[in-house]
Amino acid sequence: MWQWFFKLGSPKWFYELSGKWLPWLVAAMSLLLVIGITWALLFVPPDYQQGNTIRIMYIHVPFASISLAFFPLMAVAGTITLVWRMKLADMVAKTAAPLGAWFTALALISGSIWGSDIWGTWWIWDGRLTSMLLQFFLLVGVISLRSALEDTDAAAKACAVLSIVGCINVFVIKYSVDWWNTLHQPSSPIGMAGDSANGPEIWVPLVIMIVAVYLFFAVSLILSTRNEILQRERRSKWVQELLASA
Amino acid sequence: MTEHTTTAAAFRATLARDLLIAYKRKNDIVNPFMFFLIVATLFPIGISPDPQRLGEIAAGVLWISALLAAMLSMDNLYRADYEDGSLEQLLLSPHPLYFMVLAKNISHWLVSGLPVVLASPLIAYMLNLPADAYFALFMTLLLGTPVLSLLGSIGVALTVGLGSRGLILAVITLPMSVPVLIAGTMAVQQTHNGAPLTGYLAILGAMLLVSITLAPLASAAALRISIN
Repeated sequence: MWQWFFKLGSPKWFYELSGKWLPWLVAAMSLLLVIGITWALLFVPPDYQQGNTIRIMYIHVPFASISLAFFPLMAVAGTITLVWRMKLADMVAKTAAPLGAWFTALALISGSIWGSDIWGTWWIWDGRLTSMLLQFFLLVGVISLRSALEDTDAAAKACAVLSIVGCINVFVIKYSVDWWNTLHQPSSPIGMAGDSANGPEIWVPLVIMIVAVYLFFAVSLILSTRNEILQRERRSKWVQELLASA
Repeated sequence: MTEHTTTAAAFRATLARDLLIAYKRKNDIVNPFMFFLIVATLFPIGISPDPQRLGEIAAGVLWISALLAAMLSMDNLYRADYEDGSLEQLLLSPHPLYFMVLAKNISHWLVSGLPVVLASPLIAYMLNLPADAYFALFMTLLLGTPVLSLLGSIGVALTVGLGSRGLILAVITLPMSVPVLIAGTMAVQQTHNGAPLTGYLAILGAMLLVSITLAPLASAAALRISIN
């Protein structure tokens, strides 16, 4: 098991393995995205309250649910960087931060569009909205710390520490903001999405979209990590040979 | 170092040294405090001089001013020590860095946080805070501002080697301070509405204990990375 773990830390091994996985992941992602989007936009019955606006849910919920995964992911990668000095973990952490900021921004924007129709406002200081916005700020902090530190090794470790601290903080912020909000405002109608009373014609396409967006996330992360590997290992022999043969 | 010093002695020495330096450079004490006063003054000018309205936002104004003042003074925490090399000596010392960092954080709070806490009732009066909220405000600031120092210390430790770090420090640290801000302002508002204060003080106390336990560890790790 440990041998496998350390092998995974080798950028070259990951580059080759991910190269084999990538076509399958892209194929599955495209298939599910096409099915999910077509189903969600054309065949899902309009909601009795929200009408066609409910279709935004099929974009918003997958993006919102995956953006919660970024800080735990970066904290795990950061721990691996600090404990085992694994180069690959830091490459993943580095590419995850801007991706996380994008996903969080998309969740906020899609939610805002949904809210503009359902709540009649583009923004309210609801617990979930606020904690997502703060998570976005924390991710921007990690990105700017990374770009401010010139030494790659120091940047890796500093961002690892910040990601671990940020991960704890995201949870504290989430709970404190929910608590802050629930005493002030009635809970938001977001809960409708997870309403078990909805029939399968509502939630099956949602599950498809969630899986599709998770695959989209995996593909984006792998692609940008491969890019990062090539950049950082550009002086190594195997990258030189790879580029020469290409 | 021929004599063997205990960690407790090193802790006291670090604390005394930092306090002495702050005492000799009075700017370190006066500037954050003046900044706090000026920011608090900007709110009535920027929003409204109406006492009714000011009373509603007074707690938030004081908390945000305290947060910004803590942020401004953060740079003093390690910068001078980094530039003259004494930070490296601290890292080389045989004592756990946790206690050295904790000593520096305590001195930072005594110099920049405590004056703000002590002056808060006066500013609260000028902002027309309801009379029953004074005690809550004072107690929450007393428990909350050390947390701000401890959290800010992580950000400073991460960026101490950078040339220009004013804004990056704010971007890293300000979002982290949100839970403290929420607990502090909610305590003041809710006790004004008649809720008991003890629950909020317990939450802030828990935040303080957790930050005392964990934050200096993160700061110490960050310092080792930054100095390297």
